Amino acid sequence: MWTRFRSWLTAILGRSRMEREMDVELRFHIEAFAEDLVRRGVAREEALRRAGIEFGGIERAKEECREARGLPFLDSALQDVRYGLRMLRKSPGFTTVAILTLALGIGANTAIFTLVDAMMFRWLPVRDPGQLVVLRWTAHEQPRRNRTSSFSDCERGDDKNPSGCSLPYPAFELVRSKSGLFSGVTAFAGPAQLLLSGNGAVRTARGEVVSGDYFSTLGVNAALGRTLSAADDTTSAAPVVVLTYAFWKSAFGGESSVIGRVISLNSVPFTIVGVTEPAFTSLTPGKKQDMFLSLSMLPRLGIDWANDDTRALDNWWLTIVARLKPDVSTGQAQAATSLNFRNLVLHDEKPLFKVSDDPAIVLLSAQSGLDGQRGFFAKPLYVLMSVVGLVLLIACANVAGLSLARATARQKEMAVRLALGGRRRRIVRQLLTESVTLSMAGGALGVLLAFLGVRAMTAIVLRSFPFVVEPDGRILAFTIFVSLLTGILFGLAPALRGTRLDLTPALKGSAFTFARDDSRNRRGLHLGKGLVVLQVAFSMIVLVGAGLLVRTLTNLRSINPGFDTQNLLLFGIDPTLAKYDDSRIRSLYRELQERLAALPGVTSVSYSSDTLLSGGLWTSDVHVEGRAEKSTQEVDMLAVGPGFFQTLRIPVLEGHRFVAADFEQAGRAAAPEESPQLTATPAVLPIPVLVNRQFVQEYFPEQNPLGRRITQGGSSAASGEGLAGGKAKQKVWEIIGVAGDVKYENLRREIHPMVYVPVTGGGAHFELRTATNPTALVPAVRKIVNDTDSNLPISQVKTQSQRVDESLIQERVISHLASFFGLLALFLACIGLYGLLAYEVTRRTREIGIRIALGADKTDVFQQIVRQSLKTALIGVSVGGLGALALMRLLSSMLYRVQPADPFTFAVVAVLWTIVALLACYIPARRAMSVHPIAALRYE
Amino acid sequence: MELLQGTLDMLILKAVSLGPLHGYGVLLRIEQISKDQLEIQQGSLYPALYRLEHRGWIASEWGESENKRKAKYYRLTAAGKRKLQAEAERWNRMADVIAGILQSTPEKA
Repeated sequence: MWTRFRSWLTAILGRSRMEREMDVELRFHIEAFAEDLVRRGVAREEALRRAGIEFGGIERAKEECREARGLPFLDSALQDVRYGLRMLRKSPGFTTVAILTLALGIGANTAIFTLVDAMMFRWLPVRDPGQLVVLRWTAHEQPRRNRTSSFSDCERGDDKNPSGCSLPYPAFELVRSKSGLFSGVTAFAGPAQLLLSGNGAVRTARGEVVSGDYFSTLGVNAALGRTLSAADDTTSAAPVVVLTYAFWKSAFGGESSVIGRVISLNSVPFTIVGVTEPAFTSLTPGKKQDMFLSLSMLPRLGIDWANDDTRALDNWWLTIVARLKPDVSTGQAQAATSLNFRNLVLHDEKPLFKVSDDPAIVLLSAQSGLDGQRGFFAKPLYVLMSVVGLVLLIACANVAGLSLARATARQKEMAVRLALGGRRRRIVRQLLTESVTLSMAGGALGVLLAFLGVRAMTAIVLRSFPFVVEPDGRILAFTIFVSLLTGILFGLAPALRGTRLDLTPALKGSAFTFARDDSRNRRGLHLGKGLVVLQVAFSMIVLVGAGLLVRTLTNLRSINPGFDTQNLLLFGIDPTLAKYDDSRIRSLYRELQERLAALPGVTSVSYSSDTLLSGGLWTSDVHVEGRAEKSTQEVDMLAVGPGFFQTLRIPVLEGHRFVAADFEQAGRAAAPEESPQLTATPAVLPIPVLVNRQFVQEYFPEQNPLGRRITQGGSSAASGEGLAGGKAKQKVWEIIGVAGDVKYENLRREIHPMVYVPVTGGGAHFELRTATNPTALVPAVRKIVNDTDSNLPISQVKTQSQRVDESLIQERVISHLASFFGLLALFLACIGLYGLLAYEVTRRTREIGIRIALGADKTDVFQQIVRQSLKTALIGVSVGGLGALALMRLLSSMLYRVQPADPFTFAVVAVLWTIVALLACYIPARRAMSVHPIAALRYE
Repeated sequence: MELLQGTLDMLILKAVSLGPLHGYGVLLRIEQISKDQLEIQQGSLYPALYRLEHRGWIASEWGESENKRKAKYYRLTAAGKRKLQAEAERWNRMADVIAGILQSTPEKA
């Protein structure tokens, strides 16, 4: 196979050389033959003549030689392309419609594939990514960890299949000590929220905390200065930091003088020693970080997830990535690492697992294992990929239908070629070349559309898409492949059909023979109808899917979150980064609250541990009075400041809101220096809390909840960006009021029982209720915070409506794109239906003319076409409806309060198609009605 | 005697298996081995050579002929050697079978 291809290739590339050599060779043959004759006594002239005759036709021999090298195939292919282009130029209408249709179909696929490619198929920006593995632990039960932190580097397992990439420091030391397996091992965590000062205004920055061999293991170099080395990762090392290229450009203006500059991170001076190479955006695709610091710097930075003993076996927080030695297989390394890990976690003084839990380590290729952000985007993108796949199939069926009609019109041409001895295979090949030429042109235009489309998408709807979107060779290859496939797909059926001909009638004249069509024509028409039914069916599926997604979005939007989201300005602040203690934090918040409330246009101000509807969630296990002894319930928690319920306009249904005394009492309870006797008898100092209505319904149905007690017990877990406050253990709460239900984490999540506790410290988010446009107040708010303490950066300054919009980004993007492609599908299928009807009317012009001449009613003719249009559309709608019923179940996890078989959506799409079918048939039906009998009879 | 259809390729392979030859040499060699009993269409020789080379059974390079002229020499490749063996076996089996059929005499009743 290869030899033949190589010989073919040399023949093509060295064509003139081959011709020359062929000449020399044949001439040598004839002359050698002639010389032999001369030796036998023939005169030289005569000898040459006889040699030539003996040899036979030289040109024929040459042609056969060329054929032996596979050259004519290329010649005729080029010839076909040229002929095809000429034929396409001759029918510009068909060509334009076909190319546009294909460009839309192929372009949509290329665009979505560009996003999929950016997310899934990019090589990690490191040296030899194939050698990198990430360690993932698995077990039958969750380990008995004291603390765990994970940073969206890989997907977390659930309680049924516990697994994850967060591992304890001793595991890192263990893997690193087995130098026989790996040529490098590195561990990292973060990014940590850091307070950056010493470079203009105080701000927060994301610092990835990495072991000293991070860059050497990954094979990432510095664009400027140097990267971190093992010497930087010791307790006595001077604090140094390496900036990412993007952060260097954005925060330091890309100045090379930054090397050697000292900045302050969480009040610790760090020297900037380097900038990473531009290609290295992040190891984990989509993760955002601004700088890298050594693991050994963690204790000085006072980061909440690194406050506990970071070297302890029961604190799992590091992601470990290793580079396999070239001669070590993954299986080998995995077996050895897993064994060591088992010994570590099973035979400690306090084992983390039982033997029956079967803890193990799996080595995943870093390429597929570090998939942190993918989970969030994967499903919507696959849905969109399927949608555009269907759109392309519709485009194919559409162009196939057009080609079919055209093939009928070209019957005469085909008949002549067949009659003159053209081989059928050859003609089919030529027709396929024509359709592939067409699809390639469509593909070229499609790439352009895709490029613009992707630019528009990333600029408008996908601003938060964290992956690097860039066209590359793979996308081009994808498009070429899809175009080729498209060309063959839509070209094959018409080509086969068009060349199966009865020569005599076809040659005799009109392609549109009299109405008593021969069966062949009829079969062609069946194929055409089938193609249109297919288009309607596919478009029905896409439209139903889009409809369900749109209904999901409207359902989510129309949810009443339980509070007023309009005219609410939010911002976050974390004084713990600037080393504030709880009592200082409380007075800071009071001061800020007063000063902000005094701003003109501000109605009221409050703060809470998290903002609602922004993805943050804090839950806690509590014991509720009256429930079984020692039983715990998981409830949602939110720490709120004074005036929270008025500011957010959450109704208080029973009891009363927090008053100043409540905060004092909570502050005393939280303070550790409180007299020990009092904490020993906690009933003395219950902290006043409010609960939501759901809480009362679940735990105190038909009872008065006021005055009842709740004990915080078990472990508390905080998720989100770590601004959750109130971490003291074993508190007793007393219900003083009941508030209305509000949505917490996001709009989708059902309302859970919830406890509002008074803020006693920690980071917080402020909420400002304004009388006017809240964004106008942003500069004034920044100034007040800066005047109060210039070391306090504020973050996430947004209005509540912006946060709600952000939380719906996935739903919004996918429903908008799906609707767009749904309408595209509808449009294409509509053109297909129109084309079929128009062709049908043309074909039957004579029949209609005769019927009118014989006295048929014109409206009958009109109705007949309308009926046909409706019939075709409705068959398609039924077929597509069944397909949608089967397929939409796959969407159910993305839907909200709408069934996959939602009758309303199906009905709307069916009605829509009925209207479209009527529109599509209007022009052809009018034309059929106005057929003039005389003209029709003269048609031939 | 005219050549049986499809046997030219085998004969060429055999001819060059005895040592590299140019096209005219192939012709002479076959005529010589067959003691001038086989007639080869000279025009069909070169397409066959090109076909065999295309398939990788023979390879060619330019060299000098006996009378100091530039000529293209063909030699058997490893793949060609295998092919020749297979073809020869097939041919011998076929010849045996056909000979067997032709020698059969009517059975006496």
